[in-house]
Amino acid sequence: MKAVAIVVAALAFGLLPYLTSSNYILGVAVSAAIYTVAAAALNLIYGYTGLLSFAQLGFWGIGGYATALTVVTFGGTFWLGLLWAGLLNAALALIVGYPTLRVGRHAFVIVTLTFALLVTLVARDWVDLTRGPLGIPGLPAPSLFGFEFKTTSHFYWIAWIYALLALGFLYALGTSRIGRTLVAIKQNEPLVRAQGIAPMPYKLAAFAISAAITGIAGGIFAFHLKVIDPLFLDFYYMQTFLIMVIIGGAGSFWGVVIAGIALSALPEVLRFSSDFRMIIYGVVLLVIMLVMPGGFAGWIRQRRLARMRAALR
Amino acid sequence: MAVDPVYLVQLTLNGITLGLLYALIAVGLALIFGVMQIINFAHGELLMVGAFAMSFALPAMGSLYWPAMAAAVVATMICGLVIYETLLVRLRPDEFERSILITLGLSIIVLHVVQYLFTANPRMVDTQYGFDGVLIGSIRITWTRIIGAVVAIGAFALLFVLLKHTQFGRAMRAIAQNREAALMVGIRPRVVARNAVVLATGLCGLAGAALAPIQLVTPGMGQFLIFKAFALVIIGGLGNIPGAIVSAIGLGLIESWIGGFFEIVWQEAAVFILMVVVMFLKPDGLFTRGGMRVG
Amino acid sequence: MTALLEIRDLRKSFAGVHAVDGVSFTVEQGSITGLIGPNGSGKSTTIDCIAGFQKADGGRVVLAGTDIAGRSAHQIARAGLMRTFQTVRVYENLPLRDNLAIAAQQFDDATWSDELFRTRRYRRAAAAAETRARELIELVGLARYYDADAGILSYGQKKLLALAAALMPRPRIVVLDEPVAGVNPTRIRDVEDVLRKLNAGGETFLIVEHNVEFITNLCHHVIVLDQGRKLAEGTAAAIHTDPRVLEAYLGMTPEMAEAEMRGAA
Repeated sequence: MKAVAIVVAALAFGLLPYLTSSNYILGVAVSAAIYTVAAAALNLIYGYTGLLSFAQLGFWGIGGYATALTVVTFGGTFWLGLLWAGLLNAALALIVGYPTLRVGRHAFVIVTLTFALLVTLVARDWVDLTRGPLGIPGLPAPSLFGFEFKTTSHFYWIAWIYALLALGFLYALGTSRIGRTLVAIKQNEPLVRAQGIAPMPYKLAAFAISAAITGIAGGIFAFHLKVIDPLFLDFYYMQTFLIMVIIGGAGSFWGVVIAGIALSALPEVLRFSSDFRMIIYGVVLLVIMLVMPGGFAGWIRQRRLARMRAALR
Repeated sequence: MAVDPVYLVQLTLNGITLGLLYALIAVGLALIFGVMQIINFAHGELLMVGAFAMSFALPAMGSLYWPAMAAAVVATMICGLVIYETLLVRLRPDEFERSILITLGLSIIVLHVVQYLFTANPRMVDTQYGFDGVLIGSIRITWTRIIGAVVAIGAFALLFVLLKHTQFGRAMRAIAQNREAALMVGIRPRVVARNAVVLATGLCGLAGAALAPIQLVTPGMGQFLIFKAFALVIIGGLGNIPGAIVSAIGLGLIESWIGGFFEIVWQEAAVFILMVVVMFLKPDGLFTRGGMRVG
Repeated sequence: MTALLEIRDLRKSFAGVHAVDGVSFTVEQGSITGLIGPNGSGKSTTIDCIAGFQKADGGRVVLAGTDIAGRSAHQIARAGLMRTFQTVRVYENLPLRDNLAIAAQQFDDATWSDELFRTRRYRRAAAAAETRARELIELVGLARYYDADAGILSYGQKKLLALAAALMPRPRIVVLDEPVAGVNPTRIRDVEDVLRKLNAGGETFLIVEHNVEFITNLCHHVIVLDQGRKLAEGTAAAIHTDPRVLEAYLGMTPEMAEAEMRGAA
């Protein structure tokens, strides 16, 4: 019953271009789909595995640049670009993740942060490759078998199908034994080791999958914006993904998906100056982490646990 | 390749000054991590607050360098105290990720509030020393740079004495080395943590105040510095104060030399490459011998 | 009886202090063997070294004919040695069902692709684990909490859950690190009964414990450590009257012990 409802809801999102012809609404919908996927990918590494990765911003940017450069500089297709975005990011995640995770989860946070910063600097300063601060404007519309995804409603199909695939995959992963093992690693790593499970491959896999999914999302988003420049690596994106995960509830698949969709629409409804919006984001982050560190899903869970305790005593 | 020795000396001196300022920030982070096992993401914004305080205090005090610097340091220390008492006091030592996210929220708020109030335009800061300098041979260094370096060295000397020879410093080291044992002998972690945070923010404000006359003051000035300071904390070994100082000066030199001869992208990438190499070769940092060490 | 686990000349030192200084003993197949000793005698370090949580400086650890010394913790677990922890470790935010299932998952033939695509092999493995989990949870008396999160259990109940989890993959030997420390005294008898029942079913246990009464009631064979060395070894009864043990462990001479016993009687 629940499964049917979810499938119906997921397909209903696909009907959006028939309900509205407003490019503005469809544009917000593209952002919602892509941001939600990126937040769900962050949820895999942070929410499930307990490793706070700021590298997501770097993966997002590398994905955008890899896809754009594949098309513009190397003459490949958009789809080939997305493939590169995924593969390159997965490989980078392994290279950065292995030495870092050996050191520990504190180092992981700091190294991923520095990685994100490095990507920003490379985007700005490696002018020969990235064209520097000017970026690459006029990214062409993707095409498939002669069909060009020119309008926003066409582009929405790409974002929607990718969101379905990526979220479906993350859901399957999260509810499998692999997902359960990631949660176990987060909760009690020594116990995991005592039960014959080596944590490192799981952590690396979660990081690489999360990187690849974020990279492809970045690639699609760059072509939605039709331009890529160092602003694509603005810390704003990282904060957006983080806030979605934290409000939804780290470790809760549905919490993060719902928060992702809701919060993508919200800044559009509340049209503030960018400084003011960032201040609100900061306040939300701070307050949620202070009073409700588990997010909404965590809060619901606490209440359920309290009931369970009361029933058993 | 012929290298002009004067140019090299100039680069080296710039590198040392830069490294000393990095060190002021990194030491604060190492101190807080040592005592509380958390990372203060808003450290860069505290530096910016120090620089802004300097830029406001100078005109008010007739461009006098030292009183303005003292005012800036006190202002950031008060900020540190407020941050500790309202936010950090709620964190337990195992809540590393939570500490990052809370202080990240704080950092976003401070950065954008300052940007909103004072705009993102860079400000010039003028002191009694103006842009005068000394000429050694054909090398020119401004007074503000020399004073900045001397202030940093003085601060480290003071910190060393404080940690080594005062009750309060000993308590801090005890907590960093063995939390349970320190609690058993009656050291109050809350007081020690508060002192560590105030001390660390004071160092950070000092760095901001010293930096203000050297470079332009902008709301975003702390951000780039803080990322480097994070990396330095890893390179030197988490919570290791001398490690952080040595790595910071090393990084300042390396960046300055690279910047003198190669493209700027390599200068910026140096810290990251250095960090990854160190983690491969010495996962616990270059100088770790366990716990927070002094000397 | 044959030796299932054989420790030969195990050594481990920290900064020049010999925490474990050449300890040797064997655990017979099907036995309950106790490892006791005063605080700081090296018990915990010994089993951490055996289970791969600390790297021994030297010595051999032979499990069923294979030297496992120097292997990492997860490899040793896969070789058939499961351990529990002194400060109880369970997955607080996962239901008991999952706590038990995770403990067994490394030991079946389902690969990651089986897991992702829910193949028949995956479902068969999961069903087998489920059967085993129900059986063990019944045995330790926590059946009514099967679907509840482990976090709601009491400390003693968590220790029982940890015991059940350690038994999930049918290991060759279970090493229990202080199974009744911090457990309500009225519950200790329950733990004894469970362990005796399991032992009757053929399980082998190595138990590190402070509670001498618990060890005396349960163990066939007891090893006493003091200052990183083996002080004595024998049946529980023999250990109880060994003057060296009394002095090291209780800090009293045999005469004092006798006087105390008379006093108690």
